[in-house]
Amino acid sequence: MLGSLFALLCGACLMLQNVANAQISRDIGTWQAAALTQLVGCLVALAIAISLRPGGWQSFKQVKPLYLTGGALGAVIVFGCVTAIQQIGVTMSVAVLLIAQLSTTVLVDLNGWFGVAKEAIRLPQFAGIGLMIAGVLILQS
Amino acid sequence: MVSGLLAAIMAGSLVAVQNIFSSKVNEHVNSWATTAWVLGLGAVASLAIGLFVEGAQMFTLRSMQPWYWGSGILGIGVTIGMVQGIKRLGPTFAVSLVLASQLAFAVLWDATGWLGVTQTPLSLKRLLGVLVIVAGVLVFKLGDRQKAAPAPEPAGVR
Repeated sequence: MLGSLFALLCGACLMLQNVANAQISRDIGTWQAAALTQLVGCLVALAIAISLRPGGWQSFKQVKPLYLTGGALGAVIVFGCVTAIQQIGVTMSVAVLLIAQLSTTVLVDLNGWFGVAKEAIRLPQFAGIGLMIAGVLILQS
Repeated sequence: MVSGLLAAIMAGSLVAVQNIFSSKVNEHVNSWATTAWVLGLGAVASLAIGLFVEGAQMFTLRSMQPWYWGSGILGIGVTIGMVQGIKRLGPTFAVSLVLASQLAFAVLWDATGWLGVTQTPLSLKRLLGVLVIVAGVLVFKLGDRQKAAPAPEPAGVR
């Protein structure tokens, strides 16, 4: 039960942040909003990290450099979310984003990219993405 | 319309890649330090692209409101919710719920038009569409239980 509430909280914050960014972008510009929101998030997370577990930063050295670059994608991700929300509305944006996200995950599994264990596409994944696309078509009809 | 769809597709694909990378970082580094790193790099990249695209304009924040500073704090709720949800429910179920809850809040948002979103009243058709999408998410995530040990799902930032 508590776990479900946490998962709901996570989804709500993700949504709220995307919508807030769309609003902020209208006033100060999209790249500005992307920089601001991620900077503040970084500083708060950093404060929590330091207060919970001071030190231990050398563990970053064990991470392959490529994987450390993932954060930079955040700039384009925020830009894409904001643009989508402004043009096609929140529901459609989230729906299409999730379809692209899950499809990419399948593609990565299929090819075993980024050191992920190679896996064939399975029927539930195929059916799931199919259902999601059907849902988008209903929304759009 | 088309550019909005393309933007969403691009963002979604990159979220998938970023989540994989973040989970690789998270294998060695704790969740908060991972979040700080990922968001910090995102801020730097946004600043760099903004400077490249807009030059000094980047620093003219036309009509900055104080609450805009607060938007980033929501990222903390994301990390707490994701980490605690996965701890209590396991990755597969927790992530399914996160995705479904995003959709639920999205419909709510479109229906209310809060925060300057174009209002789209809730209709039976919209409700049906979202339910079908949520069903799709659940089938995708929960459909094959035979995968005994689910791959460690990322403590993603988004």
